[in-house]
Amino acid sequence: MTDDRDKTGGQGGGPEEPHVPLEPFPTHRPESPFPPLYESLPPPQEPPPDPPSDWIETADAHDLPTRENALVALGRFAFPPAPPLDDEGVAARDRRWTSRAVVTATIFLLVFNAVSPLNWARQQPPGWIPQTVERLSEVWTEQLAVFGVDMPRRGLRETWDGARDARFIGQAPAPGAGSTPRGE
Amino acid sequence: MLFPTLAFGVFFLFVYFTAWSLDRENGRRKVFLLLASWFFYAQWDWRFVGLLILSAVLNWGVAALIAGRPGEKNGWLVGLGVAANLLILGFFKYYGFFVEQAGELLARFGWERDLPLLQVILPVGISFFTFQGISYLVDVHRGKTPPAKSLLDVMLLMSFFPHLVAGPIVRASDLLPQFERAPRLTRVMATHGLLLIVWGLFKKTVIASELSVNLVDPVFFDPTAHSAFDIAAAVYGYAVQIYCDFSAYSDMAIGLAALLGYSFPRNFDQPYRAASMQQFWRRWHISLSSWLRDYLYVPLGGGRKGLFASCVNVFITMVLGGLWHGAAWTFLAWGALHGGVQVVERLGRAAFGDRRVLPTAVGVLVTFHIVCLGWILFRAESFELALAMLEGLGRIGPVEVLTPLLLTLIVGGLAMHWLPPRAVEGMAERLQAAPSLTLGLLIGAAILLVEAVRPEGVAPFIYFQF
Repeated sequence: MTDDRDKTGGQGGGPEEPHVPLEPFPTHRPESPFPPLYESLPPPQEPPPDPPSDWIETADAHDLPTRENALVALGRFAFPPAPPLDDEGVAARDRRWTSRAVVTATIFLLVFNAVSPLNWARQQPPGWIPQTVERLSEVWTEQLAVFGVDMPRRGLRETWDGARDARFIGQAPAPGAGSTPRGE
Repeated sequence: MLFPTLAFGVFFLFVYFTAWSLDRENGRRKVFLLLASWFFYAQWDWRFVGLLILSAVLNWGVAALIAGRPGEKNGWLVGLGVAANLLILGFFKYYGFFVEQAGELLARFGWERDLPLLQVILPVGISFFTFQGISYLVDVHRGKTPPAKSLLDVMLLMSFFPHLVAGPIVRASDLLPQFERAPRLTRVMATHGLLLIVWGLFKKTVIASELSVNLVDPVFFDPTAHSAFDIAAAVYGYAVQIYCDFSAYSDMAIGLAALLGYSFPRNFDQPYRAASMQQFWRRWHISLSSWLRDYLYVPLGGGRKGLFASCVNVFITMVLGGLWHGAAWTFLAWGALHGGVQVVERLGRAAFGDRRVLPTAVGVLVTFHIVCLGWILFRAESFELALAMLEGLGRIGPVEVLTPLLLTLIVGGLAMHWLPPRAVEGMAERLQAAPSLTLGLLIGAAILLVEAVRPEGVAPFIYFQF
């Protein structure tokens, strides 16, 4: 099974190009239209010869001064590396990690489950705190609904209600099944 | 203030951040946790905070007296302390029951009297903190745990809000050493805690609440109006409901304590996969069954005095364990059923040795159905209702209450017993390497899922009444 494209090796070349069989899988890798990369690079230069040796037989290599990049030295002075964490440090790091996870979950719920404080406030006896929470929650819920962040909760709820209303074949609706208070 | 509520969420966030901001000063941290626990308890009835304090002072004082008289006979002191604890429990929990029974008994003999009936309000969680106090006294007497270094530690031991109202019964030897130093929070602990909280929320507010409202409550309210299918479904549903309800509370308690840096013992271990009643009690409400073993069965003589005595002891232990759950004859019958089956199992082991008489699968099925029979007694408000439930199992009729969703929840609630035994721990191990942002988003999404499908309002946990 061949076609025109097969005959040209998929290159779209003219009919005078040699036939490259492609069945069943490519057997020939078309050459790149670009010259090999090494051809575009200048030839490698010979490294400069080593200076005359100043090797002193009695000297210890550890005594020789080493030159350090000035910027690296400045950086080390300005921002000294932290010492390795002790047990207390590890515990503090794990606490911060946990607190970040808790805060993230809280913010996530404040956004995607914004209706929850509103529901809570509406169930409370009248008072300054429930009323304040209710008003703030109403504004918060309405503003967020513009971005559709209430959709996941709403979608989950509708799916759940659908599952709850489902009945076995031939089964009459259960008495009182629809009277269960629901979360919306 | 119930765990799966917004109010508790706000309360816990405040406690979590404040407690960890005080971690450099363990004493202040404990004082803060104690005040927070009293505030938590006062949400039910502030007057009973005084009872909590009184109970803690009593146990601390008696334990200090015992510890101050080493080498002397302190049995009478322990007896006095245990009796005082039982007196408190007995008055609040059993006074009405026993006076009522005494009145009926006297009436049968023609000696009707106006006995002083009182409307005694049952303080939430009194059975749990009383048992905790008793175990502290006995452990100090036996030398299993040293006395607490301060009254503050005993107060916090008995009042610590995660376990205060429905357990698990955390013993002094588990918790007091943890109070002696500022706690550490590791990533595994935190991840495990967060996962347990979410898992508990799901079990309580989705599975237990849905089954309770739409299946169990209507059928148990009037069994005569339902067919065998619905009644059987309600019984299985209650088995799942009570497991999901109580284990959810324990999971959340363990998770909340873990987030505050404290470790609680496991309280459930897939109980419905038990192949015998003895195994069931090693997997169900482990903190209570081990309490009953150490402070009731063993002092009665345990298995030291031969087969007959051990059978009597286990029966008495289970009957009293039933009475612990509530002041009603149905609870006594429930305990007697569990005790009786354990006696039969003991006799069977004595006759057949360790040879396996039944295949494991059959053992699991038989044990589960005996447990379900017990749950009928446990849930029904009277023997008449329990009998009506049993009679209804022979009444053929259409399925009216059971729905595909409820059936799925029952099957799912039972199927979770065949998950890998340490699935949550394994997941925590894997998630601890994740960035905090990822974990936070996962936890948030899981709570959103629960919040979206839960019924509005949350019924109190079943074990609050005990």
